[in-house]
Amino acid sequence: MIKIAMIGGGAGGLITSSKLSAELSEEIKQEKVSITIFDKRETQEFQPGYLEAAFRGTKPEKLKRPVDRLISKGIKVVHANCESLDLDNHQIITEKNQEKYDFDYVIVSTGCSPDYSQIPGLKEANMDFYTDADVSSRIFSSLQTIKSGRIVVGIAGLPYKCPPSPNEAAFMVDEYLRRHDLRTSVDVTFITPYTRLYTAEPINEVIEPLYSERNIDSRTVFNTDYVDPAKKEIISLEGDSVKYDYLFLTPPHKPADFLKGTDFADDEGWVKVDKRDLHITDHDYAFAIGDTNNIPTSKAGVEAHLEGIVVANNLTMNVTGEGAKHFFTGRTQCSMETGFHHATFVVGTYDRPVERIKPSVTNYAEKKVMEEIYWASLHGHYEWLFKYHFKKDYFAESPS
Amino acid sequence: MTTYNIDSKGTACPGPITDLIRAYRKASNGDIIILQATDPGVIPDSKAWCGMTKNELVGTKENKGEYEVTIKVTAKK
Repeated sequence: MIKIAMIGGGAGGLITSSKLSAELSEEIKQEKVSITIFDKRETQEFQPGYLEAAFRGTKPEKLKRPVDRLISKGIKVVHANCESLDLDNHQIITEKNQEKYDFDYVIVSTGCSPDYSQIPGLKEANMDFYTDADVSSRIFSSLQTIKSGRIVVGIAGLPYKCPPSPNEAAFMVDEYLRRHDLRTSVDVTFITPYTRLYTAEPINEVIEPLYSERNIDSRTVFNTDYVDPAKKEIISLEGDSVKYDYLFLTPPHKPADFLKGTDFADDEGWVKVDKRDLHITDHDYAFAIGDTNNIPTSKAGVEAHLEGIVVANNLTMNVTGEGAKHFFTGRTQCSMETGFHHATFVVGTYDRPVERIKPSVTNYAEKKVMEEIYWASLHGHYEWLFKYHFKKDYFAESPS
Repeated sequence: MTTYNIDSKGTACPGPITDLIRAYRKASNGDIIILQATDPGVIPDSKAWCGMTKNELVGTKENKGEYEVTIKVTAKK
């Protein structure tokens, strides 16, 4: 039997495994192939909804689903995280009782999470919308008590997932304050280590006027060094400072702990892969998709989705000996809500620069449609919509 | 003195400046960062970044669509 191991049951892991289970359904029925997901979580959460929980009061329960309801037919689940991955010997050791599992193919999709250890003082002072839905909802609880002062949002360190989300936080907190007649008594400041409000110039061009119109103060090239919770100050590497009363910053992120120190990850633990076919360098039976890898593009759900489709296709081809190899185009499709039912998208590929897309109600509607179909898409439903939407960016037929 | 060689060729959004900023965080005053990229925006972006952060732009090179920016870290407190 060919054993396929999927480490991580988040969006990337679920989409990839559902595609594999569909393409290899006969082989699974005949017990020639098995697919096993390794993830200790019992629930999965809709991460783009964390902003809604933080700034609009969406209840955390609405962003959660039991994992067992999201697993496609024919896929097994081991409710344990990976403690170590031995690629050379094709073996996973889980945290639970050190159990060992052999595999023929492995896909690492373990995402990334906030790493507060990089910024002294930040954990004590900050509330974030990246850790989980419940933590995100604490921001809304805090917002409801704010009547005056300065709220600081923005980027405390790199990398982090969902590149537009710090800007979205600025726009959404501004919207909340305006809707509650608090905007003139509460200041909003956005900090970023980039030279612009958004690093891609075409997007910066369309959002910079909004910052001015909405009186959102900004500090660019601000490289956060540490936070002083007693003085309520953020200090930069260059010795500059920003005062705050409330801090909703985006912390730097880290990959899963078991990856650090391995020979297939870089010195920070991001898995080294070929940016086109996502195989782990020097291991053509191992892949890494989504936030966990080191490819030079955004860490976001759409990337995990498109990478997963490529890997599922290529792995199926390896198993069946049929089909053609696909390659990831580097396509980004990050939505950036700009407040008041408007949004833009950060769209680009490895070979095309980011497009200049003005915020619109239509874009906002598209973003909402994608949210509505999210849970079903984890089972592979609506894949025809993604193919139609992404067109030639859905995958490439050659690596160049 | 440490030299950080950053290969940012073929990057998509958020782009090579992200790699520069991540290397800068690890560097100390006196260290050199050499950033290579295929995005032509890396030259004006790096110049702007150096000007705004007060780090020293040592030089830039271009060769057949590949760009190299050398920066000396000088602005950390």
